[in-house]
Amino acid sequence: MTGHPANGLDDTVHQRVRLGILTIAHEARRVEFSYLRNNLDLTAGNLSQHLGVLESAGLITIEKGYAGKRARTWVTLTKAGQAALAEEIAQLKLLISQIERTDTALHGQT
Amino acid sequence: MTTEAAHPGDDPDRLLSDTRELAQRVRKDQRATWFPLLVFAVLTFASIPVRRYSGHHLDCVAVPRICSVYSDAEFVYWPIALVLAYVAIAAFYIRRSRARGVGTRVRPYAIAGIIIAVALTGVALWEVRNPPVHPMGLDGLAYQLARPEGAIGFALLVLAWAERNRALLLLTLVYLVAVLMPITFGPVQPNPPWYFYPAIFQGSVLLLGGIGFALAQRPLRSPAP
Repeated sequence: MTGHPANGLDDTVHQRVRLGILTIAHEARRVEFSYLRNNLDLTAGNLSQHLGVLESAGLITIEKGYAGKRARTWVTLTKAGQAALAEEIAQLKLLISQIERTDTALHGQT
Repeated sequence: MTTEAAHPGDDPDRLLSDTRELAQRVRKDQRATWFPLLVFAVLTFASIPVRRYSGHHLDCVAVPRICSVYSDAEFVYWPIALVLAYVAIAAFYIRRSRARGVGTRVRPYAIAGIIIAVALTGVALWEVRNPPVHPMGLDGLAYQLARPEGAIGFALLVLAWAERNRALLLLTLVYLVAVLMPITFGPVQPNPPWYFYPAIFQGSVLLLGGIGFALAQRPLRSPAP
């Protein structure tokens, strides 16, 4: 079963929250921690954990700074992150088309 | 939300649709289409008195008999006004993106806008000495587009691409048609009574578009947390 599209899925990226983080970072180029927390409906601790996993994998960079007196954390997608996101989307599409083909074949048999 | 990796049985259809929905939400949050449209509407209306109270030249080519009217002040007003407008628009988008915590793709728009404005001003200056042979033909259309109003339209196309905004693309096409539409009455004269009609028409398209986008994007403009 090595040719099955599910085998091409990367466990780091194939996770709803982490896929969401990469998607937002891809669209925004640079996104703030609070924007991610609000849009993904996460607690700060939970989001930090996911960001840590993605940063360790080299898929994002985290930059801490200040806007006025307010501390801010900015997340940016790396080139590896962009490639991983594109690969995940491609694998998901492949998986969906494979499921649809199997469904069609099964319906054809009955 | 959990921190575990997705179960192999997770629905890929759902993951993909969630991804698309998130991307759409971010794009909506990034848009501030109303601001550049209102800025350009103001510039277009402000160009009316500039043209009215500046000196005019009437240049004619003998064979074939073609005349063109131009104002010196417009060649000064538009490049400066457009460059300042793009600086203001870029500053507005950057400030807004910082407040909302989400980056935008305004840089390519501002850079493209300034390059197009400067390039088309150069072309317009050249055209003053080289009027079109067939003003109502294809070369006439090219001459119509190589004006500050055309520069605004081309840059709005870049913004529509940067914001992935189909509604703006549609409005820009309407605006470019308004720019191409020759609104002239009677013989060519240095300062005809109808000189402000095209600017009123083009400015109104931008103004109404800006108001429309402001109303449509208003519910999404929530203060930064």
